[in-house]
Amino acid sequence: MLDGILTGLQTAASPLNLLMVTVGCFVGTFIGMLPGLGPISAIALMIPITYGLDPASGLILMAGVYYGAIFGGSTSSILINAPGVAGTVATAFDGYPMAQKGQAGKALAIAAYSSFSGGTIAAVFLLFAAPSLARVSLAFQSTDYFALMVLGLTAVAAFAGKGNITKALLMTVFGLMLSTVGTDETQGVQRFTFGAMDLIDGISFLLLAMATFALSEALMAVLKPKSEDDRRREMEAQKDLGSMKLTAAEVRELAPVVGRSAVLGFFTGVLPGAGATIASFLAYGTEQRLAGPEKGKEFGHGSIRGLAAPETANNAACSGSFVPLLTLGIPGSGTTAIMLGALLSYGIQPGPRLFIDNPGVFWSVIVSMYIGNVILLILNLPLIPYIARILAVPQTILIPMILFFSLIGVYFVSFNTFDIQLMVIFAVGAVILRLLAFPMAPMLLGFILGGMMEENLRRALIINDDSWSFLWERPLTLSILLVAALILFVPMVMPHLRRLLGRRSETAGEGG
Amino acid sequence: MLNRDRIGALLLLAFTLGYGALTFRIPLLPFQAHAAFTARTVPEALTLIGIGLCLILLIKPGRDPAESLAGYQWGRAGALCAVMLVYGLTVRPGGFLLSTGLFLIAGFLIMGERRWVLILSTAIPIVVLFWALMTQLLGVFIEPWPEFLRG
Repeated sequence: MLDGILTGLQTAASPLNLLMVTVGCFVGTFIGMLPGLGPISAIALMIPITYGLDPASGLILMAGVYYGAIFGGSTSSILINAPGVAGTVATAFDGYPMAQKGQAGKALAIAAYSSFSGGTIAAVFLLFAAPSLARVSLAFQSTDYFALMVLGLTAVAAFAGKGNITKALLMTVFGLMLSTVGTDETQGVQRFTFGAMDLIDGISFLLLAMATFALSEALMAVLKPKSEDDRRREMEAQKDLGSMKLTAAEVRELAPVVGRSAVLGFFTGVLPGAGATIASFLAYGTEQRLAGPEKGKEFGHGSIRGLAAPETANNAACSGSFVPLLTLGIPGSGTTAIMLGALLSYGIQPGPRLFIDNPGVFWSVIVSMYIGNVILLILNLPLIPYIARILAVPQTILIPMILFFSLIGVYFVSFNTFDIQLMVIFAVGAVILRLLAFPMAPMLLGFILGGMMEENLRRALIINDDSWSFLWERPLTLSILLVAALILFVPMVMPHLRRLLGRRSETAGEGG
Repeated sequence: MLNRDRIGALLLLAFTLGYGALTFRIPLLPFQAHAAFTARTVPEALTLIGIGLCLILLIKPGRDPAESLAGYQWGRAGALCAVMLVYGLTVRPGGFLLSTGLFLIAGFLIMGERRWVLILSTAIPIVVLFWALMTQLLGVFIEPWPEFLRG
């Protein structure tokens, strides 16, 4: 492992890659700060640039953008109560009240230190967890991979929240359907191409990601413009941030919070589908309970613990979500799904073999995550007052620029003008589905996993002489499928079960 | 009652039915008639699952009523989509510099920007710098001029 870490350090610390991670953090912070644009859009916008780089540099750039976007999202949560990403919603609960009390600088500093600590602790976990899991997963067969992909897709839907599970599942199926467009790789027949040459290679994942995230988010901002009050608030927020210093007592108070939240965040992030959002809410809830009645009351009114907990957890979860991606080749979130797409386009298959075949890529991504955290702390934090000025760029200028960068990003990969038309169609479809409150991330995950899932299922059937019995005969496959079923059905059944038990106890109470 | 979930379910049901109908047009090789897995297997399964999920959403009791869409800037968003489609058609014959410059200027105007100094001082440098970055630094050839000016 030490050899691996040294290889990673050597790759990640080369001047080009250090530049990449720095640029990535900066660009990510800028984009993540724009309300509505999250890490998925930020990474999608960077992908065309990474095509010109070697895989390690490209991934390092994207990892930097990922961390930067999360940090940028926290900044807009704290300054203007407009989280750029779902993962930083909990940050706004106490960060924004602190900013209203004139402690915006302190809130930003706590967010940065917590993110750094969360990322650092999680990076250490990742160093040990990823290779161990990679070694175990070498024993996995196609049938297990198929089951794992089913698990990943159902988990994303299951964590979509109460009442949204069916919608998330439907969007996953929609993504899987889109993944079948193009030439079937093993049999060479065309599917859903309408005889069009432009669709023979299928729909590009970059096109779909840009259209359904960057482009549709920009169009949503056009549909629902900000009020004058909001604009004024944004201008005011970035003018005076106050002091960024923390007292020794505050540091002592925050240290255990950060430690607990980092562990919680990392392990939540490892679970497919859970990700930064759930991690941040879990950490916030846990710390509120642990704070006791006195300190607990401060939560929601500018508590430093309430700010540090979700910030630490969401950053730790970001590192955690790389574990299933790097070791199993299965993305656990929309963001890691888009990184998987980028890896595949480099010709690199993430999974247990990545650790053996491309140790440079594997380790340099892990090491660069840590470097990204350092860059965020030492470069971005002092520059936040200046970076926050992006909030003052008028939407009249910003929106057309986002549209331009999204369109041209896809066009410069294929040089096919049909892609621009297709993007607009997908973006309009995505806007309609967003207005109807249908989630986009499961669709993207379904799209990216669709091809691999079909391929693994086909391979499993060939190995098993066209028999579907592998689904219940191979213990590992069956166990994974059972976990998937449990994850999916328990949240559906639990409310009914609770209602039933409640009714019974009421009847028993009346009877007694 | 028609709510957001049901409208979405109806739209996706229509898509799924269309997808399912097209599944029958996927060609199969003669020896695959009784194979366990063909190019149609996954699309057929997805069609069935998709129809099932749409029906569940349609039958489930609705929670939130359809949101009022009044006050949304439909015209502006539609105009931006139209400009994007036109940009897709003109970027090759019109050349990168002219078509992109006009696209950005049209976008700024649609968004309500009327300060011409700001419009031009943003659009022109972005287009020129981006073109220079791609062609000179990254070595990607992009035709800068419209067809009638090319040699």
